[in-house]
Amino acid sequence: MRRVAIGERPDWRDTARRHGFTFHTLDGAPYWSESHAYAFGLDEIERDLEGPSGEIQALCLAFVADAVEDERILASLDIPEHARDAVRASWKRGDPSLYGRLDFSYGGDKAGRAKLLEYNADTPTALYETGVFQWLWLEEGLRSGSLPEGSDQFNSVHERLIARFRTLRGDGTMAFTAYADAPEDRGTVAYLEDCARQAGLATRFLDLSDIGRDEAGRFVDRVDAPIPALFKLYPWEWAFADAFGDRLHETTTRFLEPPWKAILSNKGLLAHLHAREPGHPNLLPAYFEDDPRKASLGTSFVKKPLVSREGANILVVRDGTVLAQDHGPYGGGRHIRQALAELPDFEGRRPVIGSWIVGNEPVGLCVRESAGPITGNGALFVPHVIEPA
Amino acid sequence: MPSKADTPTPVKPPRVMRSQTVTLVMLAGAGAAAFGLAHVDPSQDEEDVLVYANPEACIAGRVRTEAECRSEYLTARAAYPESAPRYATMIDCEAHHGALHCLPGASVASSATGRFVPMMAGYVIGRRDDQDLDPQPLYDHAPKERTASGVGTGGGSSGGGYCTGWGGRVTTSSGGASSSARVASSAVRRVAFGGFGSTGRGFSSHGGSGHGSGG
Repeated sequence: MRRVAIGERPDWRDTARRHGFTFHTLDGAPYWSESHAYAFGLDEIERDLEGPSGEIQALCLAFVADAVEDERILASLDIPEHARDAVRASWKRGDPSLYGRLDFSYGGDKAGRAKLLEYNADTPTALYETGVFQWLWLEEGLRSGSLPEGSDQFNSVHERLIARFRTLRGDGTMAFTAYADAPEDRGTVAYLEDCARQAGLATRFLDLSDIGRDEAGRFVDRVDAPIPALFKLYPWEWAFADAFGDRLHETTTRFLEPPWKAILSNKGLLAHLHAREPGHPNLLPAYFEDDPRKASLGTSFVKKPLVSREGANILVVRDGTVLAQDHGPYGGGRHIRQALAELPDFEGRRPVIGSWIVGNEPVGLCVRESAGPITGNGALFVPHVIEPA
Repeated sequence: MPSKADTPTPVKPPRVMRSQTVTLVMLAGAGAAAFGLAHVDPSQDEEDVLVYANPEACIAGRVRTEAECRSEYLTARAAYPESAPRYATMIDCEAHHGALHCLPGASVASSATGRFVPMMAGYVIGRRDDQDLDPQPLYDHAPKERTASGVGTGGGSSGGGYCTGWGGRVTTSSGGASSSARVASSAVRRVAFGGFGSTGRGFSSHGGSGHGSGG
C-alpha cells in the first residue's frame, strides 16, 4: 500500500457536474481529492481486506441472531424497550439489508492486520463517490495513461447495488427518505434511487417531514398513499427517539436498512464481538466503559459513544495523554473503550479504509484521509487503485 | 464424458474487481436538477363516503343493512367522547361549530372537564368495505364561517357542512337523511406528519449540515 501522486484531471469538476456529483465540496471545504491516490497490491486487497470483511460480516450476523433472543444484549446497546419488538421482528422475518461499511485501520501488508474500528451498518455515506466517481476516475486514468495498463480497483459497488435491489422486489415500489436539505445525504439517496430504478423498481423521494402516520400506524405520504417499502438515510437510534418511533412494530412498512441493523450500527458491537472472538486477528480488544476489564487496555485506548457519526465525541488516548478529542453532540450516552489502533501515517496523511458490504458480500473500498487521528467531517475522499501484478 | 483429469487446466483469467460498466439514469446529465423528483399525484387524494345523522337515517338510505348501520353508529359514538375536539371556552367552540352546538366537556368525558366540546352531529363511513375506513363522529362546521365564505345556505342544523375531530372538512352533496360525498382522503383519515427527523435536528452540527445524518 502506497500513497502515490497522480495529479488532478483538469476537467474533473465538469465530469462531476455531468454525473450528478453535487457534493464534492462540502460547507466550503474540499471533499473529493484526486491529486494523490492509494495504491494496493491485489493480495493486500484479497487477503487483508476482502477476506476479513466477509468473515466479520458473518460474525456480525451470528451476533444479531443471538442478540434478538437476549434482552441483556439489546439493553447493553441502549436499544430502547419500545423499539425491541420491531428490531426482533425484522430479524425473524428475514427482512433483507442493503448495505453497510466496515471501517478498518490498515497500512499495508508490512504494517500488520487490518483492525476493525467500527461498522457503519445503518446510514453509511461515501457510497456514490465510491461506486461511481471513483470508478470513473480509474477508467479515465486508464484511458489517459495516468494509470498503468492493467490497473484495477476493488469496486463492484454499483453493479452489486443494482443486483441487490433486483432481489428486493416487494410490491415493485421503493420510497427513499432523508433530510432533503443535507446535500451529502440527498446525493447519496438520489444515487441509491437511481440504482433502484435501474433494478426496475418504481421509486420516489420524500423528505423526512413528508412521512405521515395514520391512525392504524401505517406510514403514508402527503396524499395518504401507503409506503410499503422505505429506504431511510436516517439512523435508527434517532428514529426510535422520534415521535413515530413508538409503535414501529405495528407498521407494515418494510425498511432499508431494517431495524435489526441498529444492533450492528452501534459501537457496543465491538465489545460484544471481542468477547465472542477474543484473539481474532482483525478485532481490537474492546469493553463497555462500565466493565472493569477495560483496565486491561492500559493507557492507550479510544473512547467512543455507542452511537455517533463522523468521528464525533471520540477521545483518543496514547500513553495516558489525550492525543485527540472531538467535542461533538453525542457525548450524553454510554461509551465503549477500544484498544488503540492508530491510523497509519503516509506523509502526514492518515487514511481509514472503508470496506463496503452489499447484501452480505464485501464488494469494494473507499479511502478517506485526514490530517489527524480521528476521521471526521473534514476528511477527504481519495481514490484507490490496485496495481498491476 | 471426459473426467476432469483429462481436460487441460484452463488458464484462469485475471480477476477484475471493479464494475464492468457504471450507468446512471437519474443523476447523469441533469445532475442536481434531477433531485426535484419529490412529486406526488393529487389524484389519489379522494374517497367516497356516506354521512348519516343517526342509524335511522342510515337504515332509510338502504345502502347498508340495518345491522351494519347500528354497529357502525355505535363504533363512531364510542369514539366520540375521547376524540371530540376540546376548546378553552364556549365561545371558541361555537365559533367553530355554530351556536348551540357545544357542550361543557364534563358532560361528555371526564378527560374534557373544564373544556368545551361540540355535539356529535353525525358520522361518516366508507362507501365500500375495501376502503377500510373506521366509522367516525362528525361535527357541524360553523354556519357563520360557511356563510362568510359563501358556501352553504345556513339553513338547518346539518346543511351539508361537517368536520372531523381534527378539522377535516366533509361537505355532502345534499342535506337530508342520506348523503354521499367525495372528500379529501386526509379529511377522513387522520395522518400525523413530522414524526421523523426531530431527533436528528437536535444534533445541530449534524442534521441539516452538509454532511447530514449519514456517516
